[in-house]
Amino acid sequence: MSEPIVLGIETSCDETAVAVVEGMTIRSSVLASQTDLHARFGGVVPEVAARAHVEAIRPLVHQALSAAGIYSDQIDAVAATRGPGLAGALMVGFGFGKALAWSLHKPFYGIDHMEGHLFAPRLEFPGYGPPAVVLLASGGHSQIVHFVEWGTYETMGRTIDDAAGEAFDKLARFIGLGYPGGPAIDRESEGGDPDAVAFPRALRDRPYDFSFSGLKTAVVTYLEQAVERGELPSRADVAASIQEAIVDVLVDKTFNAVEATGVRAVGGGGGVLANRRLRERFAIEAERRGIELFVPSGALCTDNGAMVAAVGVQRIRDGVEPTAWPADIDPGLALGT
Amino acid sequence: MKLLAIETSTPASSVAIGRDGALTAMNVHVDRRGHIGFLVPALEFVFDRAGWDASDVDVVAVDLGPGPFTGLRAGVATAQALAAAVGARLVGVDSLSVLALRAATGRRRIWPVVDMRRGQIATAPFRPLPGGIAPDGPTEVVSPEEFRATLECEPTDTLVVGDLHALPDGFWSGLHRVKRGRPRFPSAEVILEIAALRAERGEFISPEDLRPRYLREPDVAINWSEFRSEGLWP
Ligand SMILES: [Zn+2]
Repeated sequence: MSEPIVLGIETSCDETAVAVVEGMTIRSSVLASQTDLHARFGGVVPEVAARAHVEAIRPLVHQALSAAGIYSDQIDAVAATRGPGLAGALMVGFGFGKALAWSLHKPFYGIDHMEGHLFAPRLEFPGYGPPAVVLLASGGHSQIVHFVEWGTYETMGRTIDDAAGEAFDKLARFIGLGYPGGPAIDRESEGGDPDAVAFPRALRDRPYDFSFSGLKTAVVTYLEQAVERGELPSRADVAASIQEAIVDVLVDKTFNAVEATGVRAVGGGGGVLANRRLRERFAIEAERRGIELFVPSGALCTDNGAMVAAVGVQRIRDGVEPTAWPADIDPGLALGT
Repeated sequence: MKLLAIETSTPASSVAIGRDGALTAMNVHVDRRGHIGFLVPALEFVFDRAGWDASDVDVVAVDLGPGPFTGLRAGVATAQALAAAVGARLVGVDSLSVLALRAATGRRRIWPVVDMRRGQIATAPFRPLPGGIAPDGPTEVVSPEEFRATLECEPTDTLVVGDLHALPDGFWSGLHRVKRGRPRFPSAEVILEIAALRAERGEFISPEDLRPRYLREPDVAINWSEFRSEGLWP
């Protein structure tokens, strides 16, 4: 039997992303990033995002199909992100995908964005699968998921305030680095000393949960006092220390979950997993414990259409009923709860 | 020629299909939200009713606003997808014209009103013609007070139609030459009529140009005032 071909559409935040996936092989994956549009505001502006999506969606679908070398009637299904995310943004991709599927007489699958991230490693590592512990961290979410089996996810811990990516953004802005903050701090940290400043690691008493608002306050206070004392360290040192504090917590708590569940595999997804220090620390920790590590390349960690299509492929393989036509978006969708 | 019309610029969504402007089937649904939940089931309903397939459609017409943005995007995204899937041509119409066309009887100048929320309405003047209307001034997004001031200066008898609930109590007192009328919301049936005429004349819009008429800049309030943006390092 031939493998299903699925068109995947992702518009939950600030990237319009479309891909064609056949089985678990990416045939094309294209994207229109809005980073520049939002940079001058220091964060994603929902209405600006929605306007950009509605202009980008049709040409991108066309581009994804041409790059895959297929006609639209050769796809077996359309999958689109249903939530979580920005309502106005989600609606564009979900609405477009549903109307496209209906017009082509193809099944349509509304997909949980976080399940997409959780699935993404599968596109690079055929050996990836349950049981595993997966860290999902981005500008909108930070959670540790026990991937029990395909379709069964238990959230073990999550952030109680800011998402990890949000912490990067806000702190990058505070130390005068641009938006988006994650890549900016990653770059600035190069050559900086991660132990220069001992910023706090919060929630020591809760093994799987995160909190980043305390770090924010600590950085602000520390820098104010450092200026007063006239002992301001280099920005690279401060950036590296901030990065280390965030990464430390993410790594610690993820491996707490690995120990508690006894799984032998760790996965990762979301924009924060593109951070080089986090990937390095994950690799060291996994190696030390003899755990298999499944963190895909950066382009599959950040938002993309292939991860959405991949979940669609899995739905077809599992014989899951398509999403009904009256379905609407669900901006508050929460994986594994 | 088979046409499909999509209307989502107000709380009253509707879809209609027809042959050369004559209505074949229609579905209407009034709800401020949920355009995306409504559209495909409504399409399925009217196509089943007519015994048509999506691939039969030659022209997809959609209301580009003005109106609340979320609804406009739902309509445009759906129209784009369907037209791309079946290779149909596109027609974009203006919500105020749709209202004015249905209101066009008699000689009064027509001011259709669409609720833009946040205390604003969109409006524009239209002149009735035998069998149609002609735009008679620019489209503006204004407060009800500004609109009232405009109506007070109107030299002729006028007719205001559309979502009059967007205008406050007491709006009408003293406006003696102004009459209130229907329809309250634009309808896909009227879009179908407009689209048939445009299609006959070959007035199509390219997919790249089919985008909502927002008439208002996006809100960009980000509450990060506690964070300075320059930083401490030069
Ligand atoms: Zn994401």
